[in-house]
Amino acid sequence: MAMEALGTAGASPAIRGLSTMRALFRELVRFSRRNTLAAIGGLVGLFIIFVALAAPLLAPRDPLKADFRRMNKPPDAQSLLGTDQVGRDTLSRVIYGARTSLFVAFSAVILGTTVGSLWGVACGYLRGRFDLYSQRIMEILQSFPDLILAMAISMAIGTGLQAVIFAIAITRIPFGGRVIRSVALSVREMPYVEAGRASGASAMRIMALHVLPQCIAPYLVLATTHLGVAIVIEAALGFLGVGVPPPTPTWGNMLADSITALVPPWWLAFFPGLAITVTVLAFNLLGDGIRDTLDPRLSPAFLRMMAGGRRG
Amino acid sequence: MRKYLTRRAVYAAVTLLGVSLSIFVILRVLPGDPLVAILGVEGHAQMTPADRERIMADLGLSDPLPVQYVRWLGDIASGQLGKSFFRGDTVAELILHRGPISAEIGVLSVIISWLVGLPVGILSAFKPNSVPDGIARTLSVLFIAIPGFWLGMLIVLALLFWFGYKAPIIIVHVWQDPWQNLQIVIGPAIVLGLAQGAYIARMSRSCLLEVISEDFVRTARAKGLREGFVVMRHALPNALLPVITISGVLLGFVLGGSVAVEQAFGVPGLGRALVAAVIERDIIVVQNLVLLYAVIFVAVNVLVDLSYAWLDPRIRYG
Repeated sequence: MAMEALGTAGASPAIRGLSTMRALFRELVRFSRRNTLAAIGGLVGLFIIFVALAAPLLAPRDPLKADFRRMNKPPDAQSLLGTDQVGRDTLSRVIYGARTSLFVAFSAVILGTTVGSLWGVACGYLRGRFDLYSQRIMEILQSFPDLILAMAISMAIGTGLQAVIFAIAITRIPFGGRVIRSVALSVREMPYVEAGRASGASAMRIMALHVLPQCIAPYLVLATTHLGVAIVIEAALGFLGVGVPPPTPTWGNMLADSITALVPPWWLAFFPGLAITVTVLAFNLLGDGIRDTLDPRLSPAFLRMMAGGRRG
Repeated sequence: MRKYLTRRAVYAAVTLLGVSLSIFVILRVLPGDPLVAILGVEGHAQMTPADRERIMADLGLSDPLPVQYVRWLGDIASGQLGKSFFRGDTVAELILHRGPISAEIGVLSVIISWLVGLPVGILSAFKPNSVPDGIARTLSVLFIAIPGFWLGMLIVLALLFWFGYKAPIIIVHVWQDPWQNLQIVIGPAIVLGLAQGAYIARMSRSCLLEVISEDFVRTARAKGLREGFVVMRHALPNALLPVITISGVLLGFVLGGSVAVEQAFGVPGLGRALVAAVIERDIIVVQNLVLLYAVIFVAVNVLVDLSYAWLDPRIRYG
């Protein structure tokens, strides 16, 4: 890729753009050939993102519209995945559920991992007392099981979309913090960072220009690995009745609806869960592939060691 | 060893103090007025100031926050843990009544995870990239992705549809009727155990493969030992350390996951009590139960670290 950039340095921006696109495409093909599963995961992930974005075009019916003449109907030609206890179309609700799920998961992971990573860079670079206290705080955050911490936080700040995003984001902070801190710790000892310090650059400048770029690969790995976890937490919160409040269609809420029925309709219990599983599977496979490609050091073993295997 | 032990215990105690303080901050300080947390914004707005004061005093919420926090620590020390807002019983009674079921589910699920995960991991590592290995890896990827509460729901539904069977939804302790008790806990334990087992299989496979490529294993093979003996006696003990660690980390997953899985199976354990308390906004119950889950999580990780130190002299003396 570097060669390509050099070779087209003098060409017009359009041609250069085209050639970078082509290089990117070639890179993607190579990635897919080496990680078939990850590529499939990526494609499925893209498809689900597409479904979420195009929900109003794809959904056959309004996901909130009740139809009391067609309640608890099993799948048939009129509603492919059946209807729920007030006659809402399950297929439409699953499609709109993708919207809520992905929106919450992406926002929470990006927010949590970014805050955690910036914090981790500061800890790893500055060391000293700041690092010591920060590590204690992260340890405290990691002493709670994810789902339980998310429940407590969303209870305190109210159960809305933002509360759920915020609650899940907080549970992601220490993971970013620990992994990125270890990267920053090793980067700060590199000669080029030392050179920066020697030439009088401020800590802020070194962190922003020299340490941060080194953290991009592990950041991407972390973010993709945690997407699946975030989706499951969101669904579990909805399932327990403490997530994004109804009538917003979310996969977790739909599962909760199905369980309250005396004789639970199987289609209402099956399809939303299938949607969760396929989505989580897709992002997990993609995450594994990205990790293998970008940073073999971040094997699951390493990540989990950092995540809390060794405390104190 | 004793020095390591004390240091570890002190760290854990400090962490738990921090944990209790943050629970207190999250549940009492963040919502501003605790009555807002209990009644919700609408309910709170409908009350007269006199009502507000009376209820606050009744619940012991009108004292300054630091006093309340210290009183909570005192409640913990006395073992009573305070009273539910809406029911007469203390949180300690609630935990004693419902805790055993959840504890059984947790312990059983860890046992199942090792019984399933370790053999699968070993088989995979014996012949990497073979067909059985492929199947094992596919299944473990799948079981990591399937949400436990959904799997639980499907199991309950399948049993109901095909066998007309429904597990008892009352609390039966193991010392009262072991058979009934087993019917209650086995479902959640299997679901949680399989998910953990998937991680353990994955971890033990990759650790074994790593160890197998080391010199001392080659030496053992060169001595003419049988392959099975080499793997079980030479490689496995060295590969187990990370697997034990991950089992401790997974406990966080079990504690959190069990809350949702108990709900799916309709098991009246501690997890459902927590969910009910969160929905009712019963702060005293929530703060104590959340603390309990954190204490268990931290304590088990201390145990994991100790077993690690016991198994690996480099840590003990390092």
